[in-house]
Amino acid sequence: MQLERRGRPTVLLGTEPFRPLATTAASAAGMPDLPLVTVAHPIGGVDPKLVRDRADGIVDAVLRALTGPTGGVVPATAGAAAAGARAGTALVTVPDALDAFQADAAARGWTDGFPVLPPTAERVAALVAGAGLAGDVVVERLAPAMRAVSLEIVAVNAALAGALPEHMPVIVAALRALADPRFNLNAVQTTTHPCGPLLVVNGPVAARLGISGGANALGNGHRANALIGRAVRLTLQNAGGAIPGQTDRATLGHPGKYAYCVAENEALSPWEPLHVERGFARDESCVTVVGADAPHNVNDHGSTTADGLVRNLAGTLASPGSNNVYLGGEPLIVLGPEHARTIADSGWSKSDLRRALWARARMRLDLFSAENLARFGIIDPARFVGRPADADVGPSIAPEDLMVIVAGGPGKHSAVIPTFGATRAVTMRIG
Amino acid sequence: MNVLDPVPPASTASVAALAARPGDLRGLRIGLLDNSKPNADALLGRVAELLAQRAGAGAIRRWVKPGSSIPAADHDAIAAGADVVLTGSAD
Repeated sequence: MQLERRGRPTVLLGTEPFRPLATTAASAAGMPDLPLVTVAHPIGGVDPKLVRDRADGIVDAVLRALTGPTGGVVPATAGAAAAGARAGTALVTVPDALDAFQADAAARGWTDGFPVLPPTAERVAALVAGAGLAGDVVVERLAPAMRAVSLEIVAVNAALAGALPEHMPVIVAALRALADPRFNLNAVQTTTHPCGPLLVVNGPVAARLGISGGANALGNGHRANALIGRAVRLTLQNAGGAIPGQTDRATLGHPGKYAYCVAENEALSPWEPLHVERGFARDESCVTVVGADAPHNVNDHGSTTADGLVRNLAGTLASPGSNNVYLGGEPLIVLGPEHARTIADSGWSKSDLRRALWARARMRLDLFSAENLARFGIIDPARFVGRPADADVGPSIAPEDLMVIVAGGPGKHSAVIPTFGATRAVTMRIG
Repeated sequence: MNVLDPVPPASTASVAALAARPGDLRGLRIGLLDNSKPNADALLGRVAELLAQRAGAGAIRRWVKPGSSIPAADHDAIAAGADVVLTGSAD
């Protein structure tokens, strides 16, 4: 699109499953007619000769797109263009009966699969009031659709999720953090990689709203965690335009994409909490968004020292299939309070833990296939090109990139949460 | 009952027109913007070869974007070095 703007006819080549994503991106960038020519999926992971053979079938279409009259070459985004512009939030008539309403909402693509509550004008107004801002304030533009998302639209999605007015400041802060360019929301929303925003809440707001950082904190049973996480997800889906199987290209996804929100267990953490590490005062309330995989458990009922625990944590962190290996980014270590206490009782700071984990969670280059090494080498030559097979790489580019929080209840478990890699965590003050 | 639509209105931002198309590709330089996804180079390269063979296109030059998730490419350099461009977006 940048090239079309510079006067250079451009054609986008892709595979058929990526068509909805490509057309959404073109529309979001104000160029809905950008020609797209597709071949059979996949291009990657197959013999390059097969890919070259597919080129024969599309060369005429490419030629027409580069030379022919513009428009009409490849129908790109007729649907999006036809939707047209309308002012404000639209009113829709739906069935009154709850079961019929569920079927209708699902057919409209409004749900995550679970039942939703009707976003009536009255409920939406109460949620807008909970945010303490005017309903027509534009909260953000959210990728991939990049439409202006008003506070009222956020409240409609929060209403569908069943969120409460007092949850709104957390939801709004999380969306603003997600729209920060460092987070790279477009890629997180549209990648094949299984990731979604994990919201880590710090400060007094967690206790006030009942956002759990205790037992089963990453699991079910916590109303505030569930409703805030779900409201953010539905906003990303409906307002951001990440439609599963269409513009959200996740191969598998993960269960945290329904709702992924946790408080740090500051009371049981031996160290300073995440938001303080990231420059905020302890009594400020903040949300940190992380482009997160599902949690990978670390069971250690035996170790009684930091050195012992680090061996186990490092084993889970050193995962050759993680995006963080070659894209960098900030893997998150969630320490259960008992593991955190054991590490602190060995006299270790969080920085000591980071350095020890980074030194031990090494992956030798001969763990990776030659094809993967070639690919990683294009992205990160310093770590992957021209090094001997017994050289190794760490779980992130630098020890400081390892994020550490404390959460959970009694027990001897912690978790490693890899991330999308090409994303940085962003912290936003709430309210 | 009446409820509010969770999908925001479509953007009213101006829609940009595509660049003017040449009548044919004879002698025109083809630029390939490779997003580093596996085999993107094979597909883009072969299409360009066929355009040269069948439509008389001129020199083929390739630029590599270090990663598909990294929105960085020197568009000015590509626009200066190519008359038409092929790029990719898929796995």
